[in-house]
Parts: sequence; C-alpha cells; structure tokens
Amino acid sequence: MKAGVNPLGRLVPRGRIGFMALVCGYGMLVLLCLGTLIAAGDLSMGRNPWSNLLKSVGEFARPSLLDVWFGPERLEYRSDDGTLLRVEDRRQVEAEFLAALGRATWVTFQIATLGSLMAALLALPLGLLTARNLQAPRVLAWAANAVLDVARSVHTLVFGLVLVGIVGLGPTAGILAIALHSMGTYGKLFAESIESLDMAAVEAVRATGAAPSQVFFHAVWPSVLPQFVGSHLYVWEFNIRDSTILGLIGAGGLGLLISDAASLFQWGRLATILLVVIALVMAFDALSRRIRRALL
Amino acid sequence: MSTALPPADGIALEGVRVQVGDSLLLDVPGLVISPGERVAIVGPNGAGKSTLLRVLAGWIQPTQGQVRLLGRELGRSSVPLSRAQWRALRCEVGLMMQDLHLVPRLSARENVLAGALGQLHGREAWRSWLRLYPEALLAEADAALAALGIADCSAVRTDRLSGGERQKVSLARLRLQRARLVLADEPTSALDPSATAQACAALAAASAGPGQTLITVLHDLALLPNLATRVLGMAQGRLYWDLPLCAVSDGLLSSLYQAADATPTQASRPSTTDEPRCTPPPRRLSPRP
Repeated sequence: MKAGVNPLGRLVPRGRIGFMALVCGYGMLVLLCLGTLIAAGDLSMGRNPWSNLLKSVGEFARPSLLDVWFGPERLEYRSDDGTLLRVEDRRQVEAEFLAALGRATWVTFQIATLGSLMAALLALPLGLLTARNLQAPRVLAWAANAVLDVARSVHTLVFGLVLVGIVGLGPTAGILAIALHSMGTYGKLFAESIESLDMAAVEAVRATGAAPSQVFFHAVWPSVLPQFVGSHLYVWEFNIRDSTILGLIGAGGLGLLISDAASLFQWGRLATILLVVIALVMAFDALSRRIRRALL
Repeated sequence: MSTALPPADGIALEGVRVQVGDSLLLDVPGLVISPGERVAIVGPNGAGKSTLLRVLAGWIQPTQGQVRLLGRELGRSSVPLSRAQWRALRCEVGLMMQDLHLVPRLSARENVLAGALGQLHGREAWRSWLRLYPEALLAEADAALAALGIADCSAVRTDRLSGGERQKVSLARLRLQRARLVLADEPTSALDPSATAQACAALAAASAGPGQTLITVLHDLALLPNLATRVLGMAQGRLYWDLPLCAVSDGLLSSLYQAADATPTQASRPSTTDEPRCTPPPRRLSPRP
C-alpha cells in the first residue's frame, strides 16, 4: 500500500488515511465557501425565481425564428387610449434579424478560424522549445513556458477588452484575442504530442543510417502530424464557441446580438441565436470528428 | 583468442563488460567474428544475448573493454566517432530488434524503403523528404515483400498488420539495407512454421552477399542449421561455449538452459575473478558455486 505512487508526492501522507485526509480537507473547503456566502447574505435566488423561470422558459420555447413564417404580418402597437402608434410586419422584421444573424455568425466563424490559425502558428515554435525530449536550451525553454502559461491563464475576454482599447472595435480585436489566449493551449498540446513521440520509430529510421532530416520526415513528422491536426481541430472548435461571446465587448460577431437580446429581455431572439450557435458547433464537431478519424 | 588480431573489417570484442548499477549484464573477455560468418547466439532468458547484440550494433557502449566493429573502434578509450562516421556505420549494420522498431503510421512498403535511406545521395536524398524513391528501389521493396508472401500488405499501415506480418516487414527492410553486418534478435518469434521458413530464406538472402556477416539470437533451436555455422552458448551474461554447428549437441544446449535455473542469484552478481573463460571445454558447463 505504501509503495503506491502518490502524484502529490510528499505533500500528503500516503495510503488510505492520506486519501481520507484529502477528502476531509476538500469537504471543509466546500463548507467554508458555502458558509461565508450564507453569512454575507449573498446566496439569494431573487424575489420570485419560479415565475421568472417559467416566463423565460415559455419565451425560450418560442424562438423568434418562427415569426418569419408564422408571425403576424400586421402587428399594431396602440397606446392605452387606443390610438394607433405603429404598425409592424413581424415577418419582415424577423427576416431582417435573421439576415443580420447570418452575417454575425460568419464574422464569428472568421474570428475563430483566423484566430486559431494565428495561435497555432505562434505556438508551434514555443511548443518545440518547451517539449522536454527535444532538450532546448534551458533558458529558452523556461521563457517559452512562461509565455505559454501567461497566455493560457488570461481569459480571451480579458485579452479582448485590452485589444479593443488598442486596435479599436471590430473583428481584428477578436482575432488577436483568440490568437493570444489559444496560443497557450496550443503550445501545451503541441509540446505534449512531441513528448509522446514514438522514440522506437525514430531509432528505427536512424538505425538505417538516415540523415537527421530524413529521420525527421520519416519518423517524427508522420507520428506528430495527426496529433497536431487533431489538436488544431479541437482548439478551433473550442474557439468557435469562445468567439460567440467576444461581441459582448465589441470585438465583433454574435456576441453583440446576444447582449442586445439579453438586455431587452427578448428571450425568443436569444433562443434563435443559441440555436444557430448550437447548430454551428455541432456541424463543426461532426466534421472535425470525421477528419480526425480519417487521420488517426 | 582474446588477443588475436581481428580482421580489418570483422568484429572483435576485447575484455568487454557491460555493467548497469551493480549488475553485470555482459562479460565477454574475447570474441572474434570474421566477415562472412553466420553466428547464432543461444541461451536462456536474461543471458545477455540481446545486450551482446546491442553492443555489436554500437547502441550500447561497454563499461569496459574495446569493440572493433567493421574497422572502427568503439570503446571508452578510443576516439569517439563523428556524426558522419556513426551514420556510415549505421548504414552498414542492419538491425532487427525484438520490438521490430517500425514506424507505425507508415505503410509496410514505406517502412521497407526506409531501410535504403542511408544509400540515397544528392537529389534522391532530397526527394526522400517527400517519401519519393527511385523506381529501382520501389521495385526492390515490392520484390522483398513478395518474397515474404506479404505483397498484399504493401500499402497497409504497419500498425494495422499482425505481429508476424510486422516481423516480415522488418525482414524486408533489412534486405533493402544491404548491410555488411546483419543483426537479428529472434527474427522468427511471431511466425508460423511455414512463415518461419520464408523468413529464414529472407534473412539468408539479406546476408548472402560476399563478406556479409549474419548474427542472430535464436530461441527456436531447430533453425540453427538454417541460420548458423557457428553457435555461441550464453548464460548469465557470459559466453559458455563457442562451437561450430556440428559440435553442438542437445545435451550441451539443455545444460545451458539449466545453468540459469540452477543459480538465479549468480546472474546479477557473478564473481569477477574465477569464471568460465570464453571458450571453455564444452563439459565445463556446470555453473560455478
């Protein structure tokens, strides 16, 4: 029992008692969080959560999308005394919203695609430097690791806020924000796939007397390429989801529509937007899974 | 024997010891193999057969002693080889290790062609970056696969082949390398009887050229007549006997395998002073107390 490998090393006593101590510590941490929140009175659910929930769900269940075909063609807005204020063709209004949604979705996709590609290109040299089995100079490896850690720990939205201040509103800020944050993720994934390289294959090709460049193209590249493509597809898909909220801070894309709909309590429109996001992510996931399976 | 002058392009080991920590993996006071010889190494598990093969391949530098391999000196005391010299040496030593060492994601044919990488020069070497090879080599690779009966598998990725098929791919690669020294560690361990005959023929073909030396580690003793004219008996890291094939008897072999069972502890820490010399009389097989 004591010989078991303890990932936490000497920090925690080994064995069953050590594990129980860990669980107890975790339980006490949870209780501490809950207790302090309750003591401060911050753990409230609002005044009437149930009726709000039902109302929201009811509106969500009727996405504005349906109005394009089933909405009233002559919706009259009247004041309390009955005078006609405005007449609206719901079908046309929602059709225009749908067109705007389409454009915003395309911008979101552009941000995710270009941002991911830029991140991958930036991360490739850093990943090579940090991969332990390539044994880059210690100082460079340390510096590259630090850059990747910083990039990973700052959220895309925070990068976006800063970049909107630098390059102004619009998709450019979004692309750069995605690129900077994802660079950290890519670097780590790249370094890991290089570290898990099949050294037997490398030895095999080297043992035939091949030159280093030949070893790279015959053993390293074929083993690492599918993993690189796999991580690229994974992060790209993640970024499609991430870039939908970048518009919240003015960095272009769907986020602006989301923030409009949410601040006007137009849950029907929000439902439409979410449907589009879900469809986009699912379609991309299906595609990338197929590509990955073909490559592995 | 240990001081005999080795031939210029043969193999000679002098006082070679391989030690990892406290345990002595290999202790060969002297061994000479001249070019064109066919040598089999037999012995129980953990006898140091694979270690000896790795030393002969230049993969392990002995803790002590001198290895002369195809006219080059490998040893702690000799001048270390340059990168280009190492590459030239690797071209001339064909290896088939127990775990085969194939590139899993490349097709069988591409793995076979990798054996010829060291022979490509100039423009052909550049083209090999894209895994493009001269027509003659492609034909040779297909012929090598066909000779082993796996022509159908040439486009299949190696990690989708069975263990036996992989072994055959490894053999075909060995054939394309045209090495002066062919080292094979249990070349037929995963093959059925008919495939074993094919594999032996392939191995013989891979080392049939003039001056090509073949050294195999064998467990299937029935193959000895096919692959060897000289047999080395090893146990506990030491060479117990070194005989021509005709002098090897069943009794000799079985007592070799019993030697390891009798003294399991001796294998890890043998005494260094009084031990069987490299070529003791065959009957001195009983392990020392």
